[in-house]
Amino acid sequence: MLRGADITLQCLRAEGVELMFGYPGGAIMPLYDALDGSGIRHVLTRHEQGAVFAAEGYARVTGNVGVAIATSGPGATNLVTGIADAKMDSVPLVCITGQVRSALIGTDAFQETDVFGVTLSLTKWSRLVRTIDEIPEVIAEGFHWARSGRPGPVIIDIPTDMLKAKKEFSGPVKFVPHARPAEAKADGGFTDTIVALLKQASKPVALVGAGAKLSGAIPDLRRLLDHLNIPTFATVHGLGAVPPQSPYYLGMVGMHGTRAANTALHETDLLLVFGARLDDRVTGDPSRFAPHAKIVHFEIDPSQLDRVRPCEMPVIGDLAETIPAFHAELRRHSLPDFAEWRSVASGPERAELDPRGLAQPTIRFLDEMFSRLPENSVVLADVGQHQMWAAQRYRSSSPRGFITSGGLGAMGFALPAAVGVQLAKPDACVLCVSGDGGFQMNIQELATVHRLALPVKMVIVDNKYLGMVRQWQQLFYERNYAETDLSDNPDFVEIAKAYKIPARRLNEEAMREFPVSAYTGDLIDGFLRSQGPELLVFDCAPEANVFPMVPAGAALSEMLLEEE
Amino acid sequence: MQVFQIRYRNTQGTLMRILNAVSRRALDMPSVHADAVEHDHEVTLVLAVNQKQIGQLYREWYSIADVTHVRSGAAQTAEWTTPRPPAGLSMGRAEARA
Repeated sequence: MLRGADITLQCLRAEGVELMFGYPGGAIMPLYDALDGSGIRHVLTRHEQGAVFAAEGYARVTGNVGVAIATSGPGATNLVTGIADAKMDSVPLVCITGQVRSALIGTDAFQETDVFGVTLSLTKWSRLVRTIDEIPEVIAEGFHWARSGRPGPVIIDIPTDMLKAKKEFSGPVKFVPHARPAEAKADGGFTDTIVALLKQASKPVALVGAGAKLSGAIPDLRRLLDHLNIPTFATVHGLGAVPPQSPYYLGMVGMHGTRAANTALHETDLLLVFGARLDDRVTGDPSRFAPHAKIVHFEIDPSQLDRVRPCEMPVIGDLAETIPAFHAELRRHSLPDFAEWRSVASGPERAELDPRGLAQPTIRFLDEMFSRLPENSVVLADVGQHQMWAAQRYRSSSPRGFITSGGLGAMGFALPAAVGVQLAKPDACVLCVSGDGGFQMNIQELATVHRLALPVKMVIVDNKYLGMVRQWQQLFYERNYAETDLSDNPDFVEIAKAYKIPARRLNEEAMREFPVSAYTGDLIDGFLRSQGPELLVFDCAPEANVFPMVPAGAALSEMLLEEE
Repeated sequence: MQVFQIRYRNTQGTLMRILNAVSRRALDMPSVHADAVEHDHEVTLVLAVNQKQIGQLYREWYSIADVTHVRSGAAQTAEWTTPRPPAGLSMGRAEARA
């Protein structure tokens, strides 16, 4: 006879779970009681939101399902932001929550929350376990939905009496999905149509999103793009999918995308989209997005089509299948030479105004940092100005090398996510870039970093403002800096030291020299190569702005290149 | 008005997920009827939607794990002139006091 808690853990092991993140509490206590000897390592974070973001970090960098555990009530509701984040960014995630005992459900018992109901619109699939017999099937099915198709979050809510109850256990089960008669999938005919569209086009472009990475199609995609040799750009989640040194690569597209990418996207007459949702941060005003283009959209999830802008040619299916199929057909045809268009799209008049970022010390700082990163590095960015600067300057061709909360834009994501990344990649250099606002949203995870002696390299870009909101207030609200002033920030260096983490400060004046001084270079190198965790606070000008910028509701062609 | 019939396995939350796809778009639901049909369940919804929303709803419903089939057509006016469900009876002030 095994307890429900033991059965749960055995089923998790059967799904390949070796590591999970959580925070104990009343209703989930039986599961914690069963942890010892389960073969699963549990990492205690200092807040449930830290646990779910850490699980996301683990999942985003490995492609495996991340697992977060919390108790009922506030424990469960503290997971919600992470669940929403995983939904938006297609992260495979299973959250297991304890629930009050079955007899109390619906009575507003102590720490009872209908987390099943709360998360219905945020999860891909969820279950409230009703009997101990259901546990193996529910876990198997939950993991199936978390990792299949477009990955996403799942929640499994288990009443505490189910975790305590005992039964004979014959072992984990395998989930066999029901047949879905209406499953949409591209047939082979799509390749002819796209080839014909390419032959008619004079300004074709390619846009790469996260789907290309999630499907494992990066090698196939890179071969296809080399063959197409058309101007190509990436969303924030597509960064690293295309080697930045590729001659046809124009950088990031969207609200803070490069001038070259946004201009080419506005002018194109044929847009090939590979695994991107085309959300409003990429399209700008949807009615004026790629106004001259026919759109071919390679996508695994039909529900993502036509959300913002209708596409002429959906290609539904796993990109790991549709891209090779398309490329195989393409090889049998000769394509027009798009050299002239390539040259226009990447011409000097479309280059960045300030390619070395000399006028912007934070960009200089990030350039210095990124150029000194070891080969096997992962960069995490929190949410705000520093996130966009980091995305603009990131130059690696590692598909899972740049991790951020893109769709939800959840401040406080980066530090706990870095915990998950570092545990998944113990030998990697994990660089976590945050702003002073976001860092304080999950600052308690410094304790987790210290406890596990994780060598995470943490940077706070400290402008003593909620910088991105302040930028919008400056540009669109007549400099009414309402409640964005953080000039009374704590001393982050002293805070880190209180957590027994070494910390130091660098002033932006150090970035006004070009090249940087030997002292500054050594400081950055020493920071990146130190054995343990370390914090570097970069003090920067309070009113620096991120450019280019497409104002909300404007067309990509209306981007602001500098303050006017 | 458009009538949608969504066939689904009656698992936990599936009907709510179907309805969520409607409510998150702030669409009114003048009529909702769900019932067992053959081995599955089916919900019939009457919605005032435009063409873009029809496409979005179709795809969103199909992305729900236990939805098996979606079909739709224009609502026949005659069939929906009666309020569904019937308007409730309100209790008069005097009766309430009694």
